[in-house]
Amino acid sequence: MFEKVLIANRGEIALRIHRACREMGIRTVAVHSTADADAMHVRLADEAVCIGPPPSRQSYLNIPAILSAATIAGADAIHPGVGFLSENPVFAGMVEEHGFTFIGPAPEHIRLMGDKVAAKEAARSLGIPVVPGSDDVVTNDAEAMNIADRIGYPVLVKAAAGGGGKGMKVANARNEMAEALAVARAEAKANFNNDAVYLEKYLSHPRHIEIQILADAHGNVVHLGERDCSMQRRHQKLLEEAPSPALNANQRQRIGEIATGAMRRLGYRSAGTVEFLYQDGEFYFIEMNTRLQVEHPVSEMITGIDMVREQIRVATGAPLSFTQDEIVFTGHAIECRVNAENPETFAPSPGRITDYHAPGGLGVRVDSALYAGYRVPPNYDSLIAKLIVHGTTRNECLMRLRRALEEFVIGGVETSIPLHRRLVTAPDFINGAYDIRWLEKFVEPAA
Amino acid sequence: MAKLEVDEALVRKLAQLLTDTGLTEIEFESGDQRIRVNRQSLAAAPAALPSAAAAAAPAAPAEGPPAGAVTSPMVGTAYLSSEPGGTPFVKVGDRVTKGQTILIIEAMKVMNPIPAAAAGTVRDILVADGRPVEYGEVLMVVN
Repeated sequence: MFEKVLIANRGEIALRIHRACREMGIRTVAVHSTADADAMHVRLADEAVCIGPPPSRQSYLNIPAILSAATIAGADAIHPGVGFLSENPVFAGMVEEHGFTFIGPAPEHIRLMGDKVAAKEAARSLGIPVVPGSDDVVTNDAEAMNIADRIGYPVLVKAAAGGGGKGMKVANARNEMAEALAVARAEAKANFNNDAVYLEKYLSHPRHIEIQILADAHGNVVHLGERDCSMQRRHQKLLEEAPSPALNANQRQRIGEIATGAMRRLGYRSAGTVEFLYQDGEFYFIEMNTRLQVEHPVSEMITGIDMVREQIRVATGAPLSFTQDEIVFTGHAIECRVNAENPETFAPSPGRITDYHAPGGLGVRVDSALYAGYRVPPNYDSLIAKLIVHGTTRNECLMRLRRALEEFVIGGVETSIPLHRRLVTAPDFINGAYDIRWLEKFVEPAA
Repeated sequence: MAKLEVDEALVRKLAQLLTDTGLTEIEFESGDQRIRVNRQSLAAAPAALPSAAAAAAPAAPAEGPPAGAVTSPMVGTAYLSSEPGGTPFVKVGDRVTKGQTILIIEAMKVMNPIPAAAAGTVRDILVADGRPVEYGEVLMVVN
């Protein structure tokens, strides 16, 4: 087992990793920017190393600084968390070259799934259903038009090096293709420094359903069920739930087997999530995230499995602690992402937390690095807390969520809690009848 | 019943014992008389905030780094001379010119010379040879 793990991340996920390490008797090293010197996980970690000034590029994305910190701290392994360098195959490779264990999948699988076109091709060859589209990047507009005619409109132009919902543009008809191509290329260039784009059929009312995978280095692959992450605004998830209200047991089992079979054939290791769009009974692969995800607690609540612990164990070469048959799905879980932003305009709201009171009670979990007096820095994303509730049924879960949201106090900054309070009383949400476009319509200012 | 008399000399002696030994309470019993002397500890109630682990970086002094503080631009290991056991680049009291190398930080096997930002005198050297340093750590004071 590792003696010391370096946490190459910040905020609530860094705290999550610290907690798992601590419970396993592993010492933690928190690397942080100057803006995070007072962060909760930095205070709790066994050691802390300041690696740079606030900008991510000079701190949390600074590979030499992180590797240097791991060297001077004598870490055995590095956990990359979510975002930042977690899906950077160069980083994963360098970690291993420097003699540390990267707590995550093999660099070549990170690289494979990071290229969205290659990922789709890989998925297809592994037997995973994919969204109909161009088989490769489109080299010129004429070719794009032909492919779009073949797929059928509306068509989505997507950045090949993209992710996180960026660099995507819809063309509803042939006469919109030229502009959609131009805009998507420009956005892709700006966000990912790569303007290669590919095409996909645009689905009109899909749900976003993803399968959580866990695998060890011995060929054992399991799934922890699905998560329904259709509550999105501008491709950013706001709320997730498991199981999906849209799937029945047969569909769940079918897609679970497809995903695990594919990962077994791929030889995948560690945690990963295979993401699908689901419409009219059909699943369509869109991408795979080769890392832990923000919403992993939802799957932990319905299975009782500590995913970070399993990641760490798997990284030491240990086999998974359980087989698929031993995984029992119990009840229903919902996670609300609490962001430091105005609940109506979504303008970011960094600042000093004056009051903090987290809800509690049976089936309530809060993953947050906040404390009264903490300053939410303006330099990073706005996620400041995750409220996860579990109930024996979806109804019980909804009641509990409503109750927990009533108790949640975060003073000093604006948060999305008021939006969540509105959400939990919305009839469509209560009925589980929402797709990936629902939330945008819900938050649209009344005309 | 005998009149209760406070043996003032005894109390003072016990109080002095507390101070001398660092104890917080002494109870002395003799016959049917018992005295207890207790010093209120000033330890705070359990902190509302998690206490920083002992090994965590110490909090920076409130007044900020002194004028002329040379702070580390990177994470690595500080070396005060160009080779082990060699003459240090500078010692306290030396005058340095702008751009003169005052120490080296090694990061990932690359030696990075750290220059003096301006001409001045080395007032203080705060890092020991071969010690790990973090970003922003004050290494020397040159003014």
